[in-house]
Amino acid sequence: MVRAALAPHRNLGKGPVAGADLVPAISVAIASLLTALPIVSMSGWYPDFGFLMLISWRLLRADAWPAWWAAPLGFFNDLMSGHPIGLSIALWTAVMLVLDLIDRRTMWRGYWLEWALAALLLFINETAEWRIAQIMNASLPFVSVVPPLLISALAFPAFAWAAARLDRWRLGR
Amino acid sequence: MAPPGGPRPGWSRRAQYGLFFSFLAAMAGLIIGIVMLGLSLVAPKSYASVRGVALDATAPVTGGLRAVTATVGGVFTGAGNYWDAARQNARLKHERELMLQRIVEAKAISLENRELKAALQLREHSRSPIATGRIVGSSFSSPRRYAIFSAGGADGVRVGMPVRSSKGLIGRVIDAGSLASRVLLVSDRASIIPARILRNGQPVISQGRGDGTVDLRPLEVGRNPFKPGDIVITSGTGGLYPPLVPIARVVRLDDDGAIALPLADPSSASFAMVEQSYEPAAVADEAGGIPENQ
Repeated sequence: MVRAALAPHRNLGKGPVAGADLVPAISVAIASLLTALPIVSMSGWYPDFGFLMLISWRLLRADAWPAWWAAPLGFFNDLMSGHPIGLSIALWTAVMLVLDLIDRRTMWRGYWLEWALAALLLFINETAEWRIAQIMNASLPFVSVVPPLLISALAFPAFAWAAARLDRWRLGR
Repeated sequence: MAPPGGPRPGWSRRAQYGLFFSFLAAMAGLIIGIVMLGLSLVAPKSYASVRGVALDATAPVTGGLRAVTATVGGVFTGAGNYWDAARQNARLKHERELMLQRIVEAKAISLENRELKAALQLREHSRSPIATGRIVGSSFSSPRRYAIFSAGGADGVRVGMPVRSSKGLIGRVIDAGSLASRVLLVSDRASIIPARILRNGQPVISQGRGDGTVDLRPLEVGRNPFKPGDIVITSGTGGLYPPLVPIARVVRLDDDGAIALPLADPSSASFAMVEQSYEPAAVADEAGGIPENQ
């Protein structure tokens, strides 16, 4: 901290970039668009990029967007990823409301707690996808949620880092 | 570290109301999401048009980039082919000799078959492909296995049509935009295909396992009819898939069935074609695109 205070202030007089309020939402939409990458996955173990970006932003700051923005973002994710329409809308909005509650309850925040929260949310996401698939006549054993859950939990730090870097850039820090 | 500033905007009435209305909007979003989810579970066709538009918007990008990944992948597998090339060459020559013999036999059989069919006056549907395209992408993160196919309604592709490559069955169309369509792969859990073992013609059922392999179950209870290496082909029962298309090769036996690998690997198949539904009436019955029988 002291060293940072002694360093020359290169960012002095630099404000937020234009459209800084939209940057988080746009980055989530771009993460959802990653499913358009031309990779044919046989196992479906890739992480849900849009959801990872969403919880990374929301865990980083409570005011990244108004809670209801999660609904249109979820709709976009459903369209891009081929989930049944409504799955991400309901789930993402519910996650926003749940995290609002968690923000009131937690006395402190740390890196490990955030990672644990993220793992819990990813588990809820995978379970919901699994349950919906079961309703749609594609009932797989529950063990099948474990590999994608592990992979997305391990991918979370990368997305959290990306969200933090984007946040510093958009606020001009 | 203290938790991020919670929803307590201070004394400003305007900020408090803003927060409250945002909460109401989020609740509304949640309810709308649940209703839409229920609708897409009960009536999967209700969002067909909007899903088609989304497919059309992303498929050209995916298709364009696919050439890049195919080239990169080709460099690695191509380099692998030079390894041990002499022995590979000798083996391939030997296989070719055997194949030539088989081809002659097969030609004789097909001639005989044609004569017998003419004698019986058996009528068959013509099997000309409707459209040819590429598998350009897939579902990434869901337990379902879908692929994006680069031909759509403008090329004559309709929901329910079977998709195959030269190596075997890939799946069938479940969403059709005008430029691209979404294919339910053979390895999806919901894709249940009536099949036969090529070796002895015994009827079996093929169901995907969601991880790139399929589960094979015999229709008749009894001794496990599978052997490792068996090829399974479609039987044409039910009318969704044309008969005699190879599906998968058995790799492992389990207690009452077998686990098999699909012969047509969508991640490496360069071209795929959509065929006319074998019995169009069967597809019309099953308008939802999801088989009702478990």
